[in-house]
Order: sequence, then structure tokens, then C-alpha cells
Amino acid sequence: MTTTSPRNGVRARGLVRTYGTRRALDGVDLDLGPGVTGLLGRNGAGKTTLLRCLATDLEATDGELSVLGRDPERAAERTEIRRRLGYLPQNPSFYPHFTTFGLLDYMAVLKERGGRRERHDEVRRALRRVDLYDRRHTRLRRLSGGMRQRLGLAAALLGDPHLLLLDEPTIGLDPEQRIRFRDLVSELAVHSTVLLSTHQIEDVAALCRRVLVLDQGRVIFDGTPAALIARARGRVWEQGTRPPRNVTSWRLADGRHRVLVPEGVHNPDSDERVPVEPSLEDAYLLLTGAVPR
Amino acid sequence: MSWHLTHDQLHRYATHTADDVTAMSAEAHLTHCSHCRDRLPTDEAWLERSWADLRDIVDRPRPSPLERLLTALGLREHTATLLAATPTLYRAWLAATVIVLAATLALAHEIPRGTLLFACTAPVVPLVGVALAYGRGVDPAHSLASVTPWAGPRLLLLRTCAVLAPALTLCTIAALLMPAVTTVHETVFWLLPALAMVAGCLALGRWMHLSMAGGVIGGGWLLLLTVCTLLDGTDPLQVFSPLAQAGWATALALLAAVIALRVRTA
Repeated sequence: MTTTSPRNGVRARGLVRTYGTRRALDGVDLDLGPGVTGLLGRNGAGKTTLLRCLATDLEATDGELSVLGRDPERAAERTEIRRRLGYLPQNPSFYPHFTTFGLLDYMAVLKERGGRRERHDEVRRALRRVDLYDRRHTRLRRLSGGMRQRLGLAAALLGDPHLLLLDEPTIGLDPEQRIRFRDLVSELAVHSTVLLSTHQIEDVAALCRRVLVLDQGRVIFDGTPAALIARARGRVWEQGTRPPRNVTSWRLADGRHRVLVPEGVHNPDSDERVPVEPSLEDAYLLLTGAVPR
Repeated sequence: MSWHLTHDQLHRYATHTADDVTAMSAEAHLTHCSHCRDRLPTDEAWLERSWADLRDIVDRPRPSPLERLLTALGLREHTATLLAATPTLYRAWLAATVIVLAATLALAHEIPRGTLLFACTAPVVPLVGVALAYGRGVDPAHSLASVTPWAGPRLLLLRTCAVLAPALTLCTIAALLMPAVTTVHETVFWLLPALAMVAGCLALGRWMHLSMAGGVIGGGWLLLLTVCTLLDGTDPLQVFSPLAQAGWATALALLAAVIALRVRTA
């Protein structure tokens, strides 16, 4: 793999990953630098596969990849990448009888973090950052789903990573914790590259200056959230009557219908039909043609 | 407090230059006088280090008995932490091993040629443990651990050591308790096949999941025993004959070389 990325970024060219005959990634081109980039896509679009390739957990079948300026196919460089990488997998699982402190200490050893004192200090810092310090001696089987998710995030934060890959990080977090998570990620993104894969569009809207949309293993949009929203202008309506079945719509709390009209589809005029400013979610749904009636 | 220490007294107390009587008097006074304590010159960096040390002593989890034992045996602290964590992955295997070996031991004392069951089982015990020690599907936290610098052959070999130690110990104890064991060969005849199969599993792990590699090797072992049993006039125990032991040793050496090469190039 000959392509090289900046020392705190990622570069991929024509990245392919197949499972048998299925192409989970089908020629992905990507350049990432410091800041938060949102990764959107339907289930099975290839988001987790892309994150696992970047995290050195999966080898790409074809294409060029450089992570933090190094080639993940070379053993020594892969280890270097892993020293500066934070990865929160989707639905992380743990050893249930470990304590939160014990698990993070174990992960810190695996990440080659210093002597015992320094390591313990780092574990405490990570626990405080995700608001789990008071639970440091609690066994993991006693933690709620949201707490486990925060613990996974704390594990990813060990070692002050230059590249942070987060796969569905806000699943199970309550609104307060999500705000705290956004604050934490924004702070980290000042110097680090953060790739945030999520179905929570509001997290992307709140955090990301850039958004990538994957569909069937390909990047179908790469730009700012504002640019994605701009593509949906004039195609989002609210009306009193249910629209025809060939457009995406859903019933709102007040009984009206929000209607997303894809390009080339005619939405017949109806009474009280008013154009509305699209949200990022509207724009994403229009792009991927999602949400069946 | 109706009186306070002078600047000179505080300075001499802080720099350990006060005589014993003055120092004891100053110390007794400082215990009760917050005003003088606030005026006491302090080394902030030293104070922070001391608090950090104290916090760590009070707050850190107590190492497990196994971790303390490994550290006492001279292992580095982080290696002891990783090794001590491994048994939690294979408690079920360890319990099953004890039960199986106890059962084979009981049968060996009760029925003629009962040692045959132990001979067939013992070489597989370490193999099963190693096959279940690393990888997706058997290690709950593998998705987190697999992207750390320790992931790969280094962690795999460390966990293999953590599995082999109890496995070989238990099998040796069981062999010593077998009926009519008189020679060293009768105690450790299963060892070379066991190590060769573990090495085979580790070598195959380059191309497939470790648990699948364990299945392949275990299946091969069963096939070998079946063939030996079905062949006319062949005793299954021939797989432990001196000639066969030479074969196992050769296989072990070759597989060890393959693993070493893999570690070097991984």
C-alpha cells in the first residue's frame, strides 16, 4: 500500500473489503484529518467494516490505506498505529466479573501505557471523563447498558489517541450523557481525528463539520452537513393529506404529514401544502431513499 | 491560639534545621494552628506527587492472589496483570478439565485397560484450552483487545502459557495417580503429542480462527486413534511408542519454527 496519510489522519484509495462474494466496501476513497466526521448509512452499508479496517481489526481485500501516516499491513507500523488509536466497537462486551477500574487497567496494559502509577492515574482520568469514577469498584455485570457504553468510550480514550473511531457510541446514553459525550468528543477533536459512525443524525448535526454517507459499500456523499441539507431544499413539505405511496412521508404529532419528495418524483398539489426547511435527517433520508411507509 | 510561630521558626522547621525541642514544639503547635500551617512553606510538586502516591495506594484495586504470586515469582507487573486476567477466560474449561481427568482417573482404577481413556484424553486437554483462549467469539472483550499493540501473536503466546501451566500440571498429577505407574515415560508419555497439537493449533491459527484450528487438530487426533484401533493388530497406544514420540518431537520442532517465523513476520 503506497498511499500515505498525514500523521494524524487517514487516507484510503479504492478500499475494498469482501466477505465471500459480498463487497462490504466497494472502492472507498477517503481523506480524514483533525475534527469530527460523521459516518452515516443504512444497516449493512459498510460503516462497521470501514471502521474495522481503519482500526486495523480487518485487512482490506484491495486498495490502498494509510492510517496515521503508516501502513497497517506492516506489522511494526500496525503496532505503531494501535498505540495511537482509540476504537469503540459496536456493542462492546467485557468480562462481567471485572470491575470498571480493573477492566480499564487491563486495557491500559494492552495499550502499553506506562508504569503502574501512571497507568492508574490515566485510568482514573478516563473514568472521570465518562462520569464513571464513582463506579470504579463496581463489577461490570452490575452496570447498565449506558454505563457499559461509557466504559467502552473510556477504554477508547486511554492513551490520548490521535485517531478515535466510534461505532454507534451514543446507543443507550440518556440525553444528559449524550450532551456530555458531545462535549467530550468536540474537545478531543481539536487535535485528533474522530470518525463517528451513527444512526443518531442529531449527533452528527451537533458535532460534525463533515459528513460521509455510505451506501452499499460506496461513499455517496462527502461534504458538510449544510451542503447535504442544501440538496434537500424544495423537496420537503408538510401537508394535511397523506401523499401518494411513491414518496417518503410520516404522520406528525399534529396530524399533518411530513413529505420528502425525491428528485424526479411528482408530489401532487394538495390543500395546505407548505414547503419547510429540511433537517439533516430529511436530507439523509432523501439521499438514501430510506424510510418505507 | 494566642501565639504563632515566627517566620524564622517556621523556616527552620520546614528545612529540618531546628533543634529537637523546637521542632517538637513547632510540630505540636502546627497540629492545632491552621494559621501557621498555611504559612508553612511547601514544595507544591512534592505535595502533588505525595497525594498522587497516596491516592493510588488507597484507591487502586487489590491485585488478585495469582497476580501477587506471579509478581513475587519475578514476572514484570504488566505481564502478571495480563496473565492473571487470562484464567477468567477459561474457568469453564478448567472446571471441565478437572472433571474429565477425575473421571478418567476413576475409570482407570476400575476397569481393565482404563488408562487408555486417559491416554486419549490428556493430549487434547491443553489443546482445548488454547483453542478457547483467544479470538472473536471466545474472548468477550476481543473486539476491544484486538486493536491494541499487544493483540496478535504476543497476546496469543502469553495466553497459551497461561493455559499450558495449569493444563500440564493437572495432566501430570493425573498421570502420577494412574495405576501401576513406575517410570518417567509412563508419567509423561502424553506430553509430546499434547505440545505438538498445541503448536499445530497455533500454526494453523495464521489461516483460520484459533477455535476452528483446535477443532481441526482435535479431529485429526481422533482420526489417528480411530485408524490405529481399526487396523488389525495395531494398539492405539502405539501413537505413544518411542518411534512415534520421535515423530511428535520432530513435528513439535518444525511447528515451533513455523510459529517463531510467524511471530517474527506478523
